[in-house]
Amino acid sequence: MLEAVAQDELAELDPQDPVFTLVEMIEALSAAHTVEEIAAVVRGFARRVAGADGVTFVLRDGDHCLYLDEDAIAPLWKGRRFPLETCISGWAMLNGRTAVIPDIRSDPRIPQDVYAATFVRSLVMTPVRPKDPIAAIGAYWARRHTPSQEELARLQVMARATATALVNAEIHASLSETLERRQFLLRELDHRCKNTLAAIQAIADQTLRRAPSPSHFVEAFNGRIGALSRAHELLTKEAWGNAALADVVGQALTPFCGVGGLQIAVSGPRVALAPETAVAMHMTVHELAVNATKYGALSVEGGRLDVSWHVEGARGGPQMLEFRWLEGGGPPVKQPRARGFGSRLIEQGVAKELGGEGKILFEPEGVQFRLRAPLSGRISLA
Amino acid sequence: MPRVILVEDEPLVAMMMEDLLLDLGCEIAGSFGSLGAAMAWLGSFDGGLDGALLDVNLGGGETVFPLAEALRARGVPFAFATGYGVLPSDAYPETPLIHKPVDEGQLLPVVQAFAAAA
Repeated sequence: MLEAVAQDELAELDPQDPVFTLVEMIEALSAAHTVEEIAAVVRGFARRVAGADGVTFVLRDGDHCLYLDEDAIAPLWKGRRFPLETCISGWAMLNGRTAVIPDIRSDPRIPQDVYAATFVRSLVMTPVRPKDPIAAIGAYWARRHTPSQEELARLQVMARATATALVNAEIHASLSETLERRQFLLRELDHRCKNTLAAIQAIADQTLRRAPSPSHFVEAFNGRIGALSRAHELLTKEAWGNAALADVVGQALTPFCGVGGLQIAVSGPRVALAPETAVAMHMTVHELAVNATKYGALSVEGGRLDVSWHVEGARGGPQMLEFRWLEGGGPPVKQPRARGFGSRLIEQGVAKELGGEGKILFEPEGVQFRLRAPLSGRISLA
Repeated sequence: MPRVILVEDEPLVAMMMEDLLLDLGCEIAGSFGSLGAAMAWLGSFDGGLDGALLDVNLGGGETVFPLAEALRARGVPFAFATGYGVLPSDAYPETPLIHKPVDEGQLLPVVQAFAAAA
């Protein structure tokens, strides 16, 4: 019923009536989702709403005004940029007030040289969102013209509707960005799940190949899956960005620190690892710690473990990470009869990922592991 | 016994693939975790290579395609492995595509083709 009345009222309006055009313009503005679309609506309607010979749509861009679009009987300043202090749209935006200039030749705010080449003799410049202007709409006449109260009111309504449309465009853009981000995260999650499943498949395959019995398999497999899971926990804490080497070593050693009388020292400068590298490093430290707990320094009271690293070379030049795992105070070390998956993972895993070299040494006084790798996008000084 | 190289950035998966290739009777001429390492090796290429198994996405946005081009130029057959379902390039319609997780069933025909061309 209300709608019918509203339609009747609209039908009574003359299509030539500027108020009718203003209503059409507000409708079009409410459907515009980008600054470009808003500029196109202003260009398409503002001249008829204002009853002017030309209109411009000006955006504030830092301390400049950008004449984004225009519709006029002859070219004005489309695409040009002026400092806020030197043009009338700047004055309107800086003061948050409408400038009414019936004759530009007698107004000190007008830069005469900029207007000399144009048809403009009089103008009205209205800021969009006067409290914190983000744009301005200018109306121009080729003759001296003092706008009526009604003309000024129409221009200001137009500016208010444009302000709302610009705010809506911002909200629309941030919503689109949020949706895109969500899609990106879903794809990323899918990728990480697949990577993790592939790693679990590889761990199962490699552990089974070398397991002397089903119970050995279960113990080693569960230990490795647990290590993978703790590596992911750490990375989730870092939002799958870079992780600190000290945190990775600390996290990997946590399950092995329960034995009394152990001396574990971890030291080194702040080094950041890319997510995949952090997982590989975590698995390497896990394998070293499992070995130390079964046969090495972590199997007896009074055992010592010293994990340290440093970076060689000056910043700006080629730099190498030197990582060391030194066990001491444990039972005499014997050379293993066969190299298992653990040794292979320790020597090749991180080293290959980083284009470096890993070496495990079964010295009688304690197991040593040394890794040398060039710094890169995957491993860097934090 | 086909002589092959492997490019795979995930160390655990690389070890498994190496073992699968060995199980299928391949000799592994080289196993690389990054494009740079593989390209450097190919620089001193001696010609005795029958095939290459290439993981497509090598981490950090890097893909294996530059190496694929270099292998194609040298007439070395290759196959891709990916966890993404589809190849992010339509330049290789004839190249075999192995879907991760990889298993022997998928690898066997690829290795047989390498052996046949050797």
